[in-house]
Amino acid sequence: MRHLAQSSNAVKKRKGILGGLALVAVATALCWSLLVAPPDAYQGEVQRIMYLHLPSILIAYLSYFLVFIGSGMYLWKREKKDDLLAHAAAELGVLFTVLTIIEGSIWGKPTWGVWWTWDARLTLMAILLLIYAGYLMLRSAIDDEQRAASAAAILGIIGFLDIPLIHMSVYWWRTLHQPPSILRPDKAPWENVHPAMLTALAISFAAFLLLYFYLLSLRYRVGEMRQEIKALRLEREV
Amino acid sequence: MGPWGYVSLAYGIVWGVIVVYWFVLKRRYRAAETELNRLRSSEAAGSHDKD
Amino acid sequence: MTLVKQAYLLLCKDLLLELRRRDSLLTMFFFGTLLLFVFHFAFDMPPDKVAELAPALLWLAFLFTGTLGLAQLFQAERDNHCLDGLLLSPLDRGALFLAKTGFNLMLMLAVEVVVIPLFWILFNLSGWNLLPQLFLVTLLGTVGFCVLGTITAAITLRARARELLLPLVLFPLMIPVILATIRCMEMVLKTGSFGDATPWLRLLLGFDVIFLTIGVLIFDWVIES
Repeated sequence: MRHLAQSSNAVKKRKGILGGLALVAVATALCWSLLVAPPDAYQGEVQRIMYLHLPSILIAYLSYFLVFIGSGMYLWKREKKDDLLAHAAAELGVLFTVLTIIEGSIWGKPTWGVWWTWDARLTLMAILLLIYAGYLMLRSAIDDEQRAASAAAILGIIGFLDIPLIHMSVYWWRTLHQPPSILRPDKAPWENVHPAMLTALAISFAAFLLLYFYLLSLRYRVGEMRQEIKALRLEREV
Repeated sequence: MGPWGYVSLAYGIVWGVIVVYWFVLKRRYRAAETELNRLRSSEAAGSHDKD
Repeated sequence: MTLVKQAYLLLCKDLLLELRRRDSLLTMFFFGTLLLFVFHFAFDMPPDKVAELAPALLWLAFLFTGTLGLAQLFQAERDNHCLDGLLLSPLDRGALFLAKTGFNLMLMLAVEVVVIPLFWILFNLSGWNLLPQLFLVTLLGTVGFCVLGTITAAITLRARARELLLPLVLFPLMIPVILATIRCMEMVLKTGSFGDATPWLRLLLGFDVIFLTIGVLIFDWVIES
């Protein structure tokens, strides 16, 4: 009997611990973000959304970086595990990008008065969403598994390499067409920040990271199991 | 909608979506695990038959 | 045989095929012109407003026309199963990439050379002396489009709903090129030279160089899928 990677009890326990840690961190982060940290001098309570928004952005970029690494490794070594990583990271990346956009939009309404402005950050996130949603669609549109993995890997690499160029072009575009604003909320002075706010931010970052890796390990394992199921089913047909 | 309204909207949606995704993932996980165990045990049974 | 020589031979093959049947070129040309007509009806505005929008409309027309051309790019190989033959031969895949990109580039340039002056006339624009600079911008932008377009066309080759998936995947990646080309054109039309838009020009050039290099290097893996 030969099996692909087996999820032994030790691995499952590690995942459980990670999940537990993530839960504790998230609970702590919520407490700090909503109760302990004081409201911002300029933005008031609404600034608390930043404790969601900034970690979400980090997680999205981290995810896309993992897609890049997974894609590159897959094209180089052709090992299934790299492709599984890329796929899982892409799915989570899309999830957190959607969340980032929603958070940014909700923060924008009381701050700028509108649900959407074509400001650099939101626009950038929207473009990334389009690229990686396209990645997921490409994967599901190709029937042959190996071809789908290869095609997606190419897109994973090209998409990531395009990000700095998209960054530059969108930021230049926005600084040329700067809408007049008396208050520039996203340039609030960070020097006079209350230490409790920085702690809240740090805890939020940690919580999101732990949560992310927990979800990633789950999603990765699901992909791995599906692979093995396919292989076993194929064997039986033969 | 007051400031706390926006904060609860944001936190509500974000954590709501994350919890839902986690549930869906857990369900897929369990389904895959069950199917995998089923296939493995029937494969073991099949190979025993051959002996 | 060097990379460039291989690319040149493959390019000649595609060009010969195209010269014989001319379907891609003519379709693209008529589609581009049709889009201009539609834009003119859609954007019913005074002439000065049109001048502001001109670069954007022009580039949109080329974007959609180019997508048409891309859909046809590997069509000949698909229809006659030549792709397997090409893969079996000891050809450098990078050469195939250069050839396909070059072919699409030539098609698009041929269309643009006719459509841009046509656009000028239909929309009653002035400033014929600016055409060289505009062609430079168009050239750089088109190269960027063709490079990414060829890669995208190759990876979506075996996908279901290929015609929809190709623009879906390509357009977000193209955003730097779209922004840069239109900003440069606007600057040229407004001031007669690139001036403040020079960073955009450099971005375009950088984009082209980067993805041309990447394309040559990774096309091995692209065409396997």
